Amino acid sequence: MTFKQSFFLGAFALLTLNAAGQEDDLFALMDIPETTEFTYATFKGTRVINAQSNETPGEGVLQYVISHRFGSFSNDYLYNFFGLDNAQIRMQLDYGITDRLNVGVGRSSFNKVADAFIKYRLLRQTTGAKDFPFGLTLYSSTNYRGARYTDGIDHFISDRLSFHHQAIFARKFDESLSLIVAPSIVHWNLVPGPNDPNSTFHLQLGGRYKLTNRLALTGEYNYGSNYEYSDGQRFYAPFAIGVDLETGGHVFQFHISNTNAMSDPLWMATNPYNPLDGSLFLGFNISRVFTIQD
Amino acid sequence: MKKLFTVALIALTTTAFSQQYLTREATLSFDAGSPLEDIYAVSESASAVYDAATGKLGVQVLMTSFQFKRALMQEHFNENYAESEKFPKAQFTGVFKGGEAIGQLTIHGETKDIAVPCEILEADGTLLLNAEFPVDIESFGIAIPGAVADKIAKEAKVQVKATLKKRA
Repeated sequence: MTFKQSFFLGAFALLTLNAAGQEDDLFALMDIPETTEFTYATFKGTRVINAQSNETPGEGVLQYVISHRFGSFSNDYLYNFFGLDNAQIRMQLDYGITDRLNVGVGRSSFNKVADAFIKYRLLRQTTGAKDFPFGLTLYSSTNYRGARYTDGIDHFISDRLSFHHQAIFARKFDESLSLIVAPSIVHWNLVPGPNDPNSTFHLQLGGRYKLTNRLALTGEYNYGSNYEYSDGQRFYAPFAIGVDLETGGHVFQFHISNTNAMSDPLWMATNPYNPLDGSLFLGFNISRVFTIQD
Repeated sequence: MKKLFTVALIALTTTAFSQQYLTREATLSFDAGSPLEDIYAVSESASAVYDAATGKLGVQVLMTSFQFKRALMQEHFNENYAESEKFPKAQFTGVFKGGEAIGQLTIHGETKDIAVPCEILEADGTLLLNAEFPVDIESFGIAIPGAVADKIAKEAKVQVKATLKKRA
């Protein structure tokens, strides 16, 4: 065999090998490159329990949420028919204007508070080609106390207003575990005394752990900067633990907490119930979504 | 002799290359609806490959690329049914033979042998691929809870439409 012959043989062998390699790699050709994906379903509901989650309903989705907080175990529980007789209720109707923007109104029986809120997903967690580690949702509510004042003073309408603003940082760590950290401000136009702060700062921590695809454990804690006021009122940091159950268009959230108010400033900043006294409340939130616009 | 050999070599290798067809814009849809609920999703970024020399055929789709009309349905699809974080892709690998696609279908991490009717037509140097076949959802380990069993079809109707271009 001459050099040329062997060269050609070698080249031939190499080329056919290459062609064969191509052959086996045919299916590798169809491999879809990684894309950037928005992280979905960090939480099942738009709330963790009382605290807001980072989620908003999608565009064109109308959401109705009905919530109850039953009477405390420490308050004549059986006489009050397991707390049903002194339940607090909140109704909420909200709408997803876009996939990121959500507005709504609510009415809570405790102090007859009517509220309006706006929620906006500023940043979304992503995975894949581009990783972004967390989502950031902004939330703000304005609350109007409808309950009459019993102090004999003629109050301005502005006295009845209180506000809540927060930034909700959320991360879905894996398919089971999601956490939120939400620094918040609650502002009251009216406080008991001149030395009491109108604004209090709060830090909410919340999370959920999925047990199955449709069942999750949830928990939250809300720390506030001031729980003592000059008129002698003493408040407690609210917490809650619960379960989320999702069935198609509904999310059922059952929980136990040490608060029975549901408008933001009330449950966050002026919760009078000490869990150590047995002041614990069973409650639920049930949401139903309606797709108004496909 | 040697020249002929070289020419033959080049011809062989080039044909080996040019027999491969590919697209990354295949349309893949499924209909798992029922009279109670309209469940339809489509992905326009599925990929498909075909080797005309060997008959090998492959189709792949990213589960999160399926677009539903309703955002919540899409979320539930990814979160509760397809479990797209665990099983990001569905694919078929096999051969096209005698009007059938024969091979393995992998969905939700489960692989099954299938043989389904498939059509490949040539048009202007491209290949048109068409296939429509049912997929038994639960046989791929996707659980449908009793509460929604009436709303979701037992068999999803899958449709693949692709225009494959010759690889350069």
